[in-house]
Amino acid sequence: MNDDKLMQAAGQLSTKISPERDLWPGIAEAIEKPAPKRWSPVFAQAAAVVLLVGASSAVTYMSMKSSVSPIVIASPDMVFEQASFGNRYNLGPGFQDARNTLVADLDVELERLSPEARENIEVNLTLIHSAINNMNVALEEDPENIVLQERLLRTYREELALLRRVRGLTRNVMLRNDI
Amino acid sequence: MALLAVGLSDYSQVMATASTDARVDERALIQQAQRADARAFESLYRLHIDKVYGICLRMTGNVSEAEDCAQEAFIQAWNKMDKFRGDSAFSTWLHRIAVNAVLGRIRKSKREQDRILAVADTEQPTVEAGETGELRDLSEAVDRLPKGARNVFVLHAIYGYSHDETGEMLGIAAGTSKAQLHRAKRLLAQQLKQQGFEA
Repeated sequence: MNDDKLMQAAGQLSTKISPERDLWPGIAEAIEKPAPKRWSPVFAQAAAVVLLVGASSAVTYMSMKSSVSPIVIASPDMVFEQASFGNRYNLGPGFQDARNTLVADLDVELERLSPEARENIEVNLTLIHSAINNMNVALEEDPENIVLQERLLRTYREELALLRRVRGLTRNVMLRNDI
Repeated sequence: MALLAVGLSDYSQVMATASTDARVDERALIQQAQRADARAFESLYRLHIDKVYGICLRMTGNVSEAEDCAQEAFIQAWNKMDKFRGDSAFSTWLHRIAVNAVLGRIRKSKREQDRILAVADTEQPTVEAGETGELRDLSEAVDRLPKGARNVFVLHAIYGYSHDETGEMLGIAAGTSKAQLHRAKRLLAQQLKQQGFEA
């Protein structure tokens, strides 16, 4: 296909695509309420303290663990909390079970991956957890926010998909110890 | 023949009048929305959502991300309504916000590779229901383009923005936009050739 034909065909592609669902209710919900408050200094300080405590505990744990066995553990940011959905909502028991099973195996699964892949996954999970935390905080202030609820649910799904993917990646990988 | 000519002339006049009416209506809706009239803003949303969502879907290649970006774009547009001065068409202003929403989302995920890894299980192709055969293949090939080339191709080749406008929207130079378009065309031609399409 030459350039002219390609550009002609591109000009025929639809510029108008209807979304599969009406996006207005989420927009209306967001614009009818005052803009959500930014993180207050108190929130930021609390988050910093939690992060610091988590990090130092993890470092201590790692240093103690390294003298006993060479197993690599998840980074401090990878500490998983119980999945929650604002104050008023609960995720189904099926979701919690699936997530708990995958989280329990995560350290072992990560150990089987190359350092680059492990780092990629850790960065992804950290981003997802950070997003989940921010959305939970925002939902506490604005519990009826439909856009936030939908995004949070979608983020939990992405987390689950990523955890499943980690398991898939390691399914056929052998450790040096296996040889 | 004369009757037909008169008929066509009338039709053109009706269409021109309808187009003018639509512009007047849109201007009125914009003014009402600038006075925080959510109903007027909803009418603007109904007028423009398909194109805004189209841009988001073609740029992200992912339904759920496109929905998020389109919602984000309209929420931002509402918050910035007072800044719209009418220097450009409302649709252009809105599309610029939508492009920013997409770019902001990609930037937030830091690396495109991370984004692909995180959403790979749920990604769906960006093919519009009416597209068949060659157009369908082209649409899917556009989805597979690298981010930079894809964004330029979508805005310039599909949505008809000039290189200056495309560059401004994407925060790149017009020359870079031209280079990315050249790259996109080369990659698309390669992909389509592999699928059996010849010049």
